[in-house]
Amino acid sequence: MATLTFNNVTKRFGKKVVAVKEFSLEVYDKEFLVFLGPSGCGKTTCMRMVAGLEEVTEGRISIDGKDVTDLPPRKRDVSMVFQNYAVWPHMTVHDNIAFALKLMGRKKEIIDKTVHEVAVMVKIPELLDRFPGQLSGGQQQRVAVARAIAVKPSIFLMDEPLSNLDAKLRVSMRTELKAIHQSTQATTVFVTHDQSEAMSMADRIVIMKDGEVIQIGTPDDVYHESVNLFVADFIGTPPTNFMGVEISTEGKACFLINSHLKTRISGELASCLKKHGKQKVILGIRPENFDLVDESKAIVSADCLVAEPQGSHQVIAIKLDEQIIKIIAPEQPKVNIGDRVHLSFEQEKIRVYDRESEKRIR
Amino acid sequence: MASKKKRFNPYKLANKALLYIIITSVAFTILLPVFFLVSLSFLTTRDSYKFPLPLLPSLTSDYKLEYGERGYLLSIFDKAEEDYATVMDTEDLEKMSIYMEARLGTPTTIEEIEEQIARLETRNIVYFTKKIDLLHNFKAFFLITNDAFPALVRSLQICVLTILISLSIGGMAGYAFARYSFAGRDALKFSVLFVRMFPGIAIALPMVVILIRIGFYDNPIGLALVYSIGSIALTVWITASIFMGIPVTLEEAAQVFGATKMQTFIRITFPLALPGLAAAAMYAFLGAWNETVAAIVLTQFNPTFSVVVYQSLVGAVGQVNLAAAGGIVMAVPTVIFTFIIRRYINQMWGGMSV
Repeated sequence: MATLTFNNVTKRFGKKVVAVKEFSLEVYDKEFLVFLGPSGCGKTTCMRMVAGLEEVTEGRISIDGKDVTDLPPRKRDVSMVFQNYAVWPHMTVHDNIAFALKLMGRKKEIIDKTVHEVAVMVKIPELLDRFPGQLSGGQQQRVAVARAIAVKPSIFLMDEPLSNLDAKLRVSMRTELKAIHQSTQATTVFVTHDQSEAMSMADRIVIMKDGEVIQIGTPDDVYHESVNLFVADFIGTPPTNFMGVEISTEGKACFLINSHLKTRISGELASCLKKHGKQKVILGIRPENFDLVDESKAIVSADCLVAEPQGSHQVIAIKLDEQIIKIIAPEQPKVNIGDRVHLSFEQEKIRVYDRESEKRIR
Repeated sequence: MASKKKRFNPYKLANKALLYIIITSVAFTILLPVFFLVSLSFLTTRDSYKFPLPLLPSLTSDYKLEYGERGYLLSIFDKAEEDYATVMDTEDLEKMSIYMEARLGTPTTIEEIEEQIARLETRNIVYFTKKIDLLHNFKAFFLITNDAFPALVRSLQICVLTILISLSIGGMAGYAFARYSFAGRDALKFSVLFVRMFPGIAIALPMVVILIRIGFYDNPIGLALVYSIGSIALTVWITASIFMGIPVTLEEAAQVFGATKMQTFIRITFPLALPGLAAAAMYAFLGAWNETVAAIVLTQFNPTFSVVVYQSLVGAVGQVNLAAAGGIVMAVPTVIFTFIIRRYINQMWGGMSV
């Protein structure tokens, strides 16, 4: 069990391509940390640098305080689950799992015992004599996980391990991986581009974009307190709704105005917006933070464009100018296509972002 | 229209017939020379120079012995003519014995001939049948060409050496071409094929000069070096494509799980590349084993087996059936080798999923 520290790590491919830029991070002991970002954001490169599969251009990486930056992969005491599983096709499942243990020079009885233990843990004890070619994708995935936990590593790396599985299996594997993490208590770094995967598994999420860290925080942090437009848009299904608004002050009162809405802002938010100085800002509201209200209390009104019943709730889409706004509403009362929808929101639930820097103002 | 009756379809039938005609003729074209060679290697010398050539070797010969002008007149039954043909008239029984073995393929001792002559005293004509020794050509090949066995050993040495050299150098180069990107990689990969563009005979003379200088003329090592040049090129291409087909993550996984680069190669890359390496080995073997032209030029007193077979056809003792026997002997290691590595080749071209 260990901590993992990135200290100003930069990775360049060739001279121009910067994959990771001055990346600093501390991963705590027993933590389940998720690197989340769109493809090409440098999250996998970060992980490969931890494994030693990618050289670090600048900066240091240390595990448990020990600098591992220049160590070969085998001396780092990490293990990894690869995206395409990377189970060796010419070895049986047993030999795949036992590979690392054999290289460590463990005794045969101990190896067999460990292999059986981890096979039970990932629910494949009956497949030990098979070859990977005879297994389904999900089973190969389990072999890859078993192989990784068999070595009892100090750091456990997972590079998009669920992305090749079908949707249903992916969701159930999340739970299993999380349970395995609970029982092994290994410090885990998990890479994914799927925000719902990240949200459901992570202790903390590191959101990356273009080789830089955008936000580090718990799933609740990144969801409710997104630091900029990118995070607010990337996290959550459906994502945050954005509207361009203007700040207008009439006497002491402060309003957010555009062609469809005008809402009075008070208190801390108002003073904050007044201080901001710029007039044009972006208003962000999560779909579930809209309330369906009577016409008299409405801030925004529009015709329902699409209504998607989801059982427990319904997703309603309306169109303001050219922009689609999605609202998560309770399942009752049912809204039909074409119905007039009256919406309101609480001041505490709205977020305001700067138009140029895209950073959050309040 | 619900009932679908099988109707006679002349187009389908013609198609099928044509297909089978083509398949049969292709098989025939491939198998006929092989059949001819095998059959020839079992024929007696007398039969192998007859026209038309007997399709199959006969197992026995019927002889007729009678008194002749100079001694004893020996005739052999000719199946094609359906009559006895005189082969010799002599009183030298040793000569007759040798002739019966060497030319007629029926080993007969002098005592056996004397036995028949003894029978001749009571009657004018004696008929007797002798079994043809089917392997007499093979025995004769190794007896007459006294260099055949050492040449066989030399050829095997050359082949093993060629495989080792071309697989180690070509395999490493192939791995480099597959795994690393460097300036001029594609040009370099293409240029290894250059050496195969020159006919062996054209570069034979410079080869002789070079081999004499480094002391490997008329030496298996020298020939192995020459053969390796050509087979390295092929090995590079075969192994490069095989190594490219092995995902890098398999190697990376091995390294993460505690293997050194060497262990990764031995335990992961090598076993997965085995089909390609086997194919490359087969090509190297076939090339080195069958090569004759360069071997004629580059050897003098230590010829390879292919040169010995060649000489058995064109040399002073040249006989077509002996050459055929030599050819069969020469084909045996190739067939065995190909059958051994067939499994791996099948994996490669039968689509082993990595």
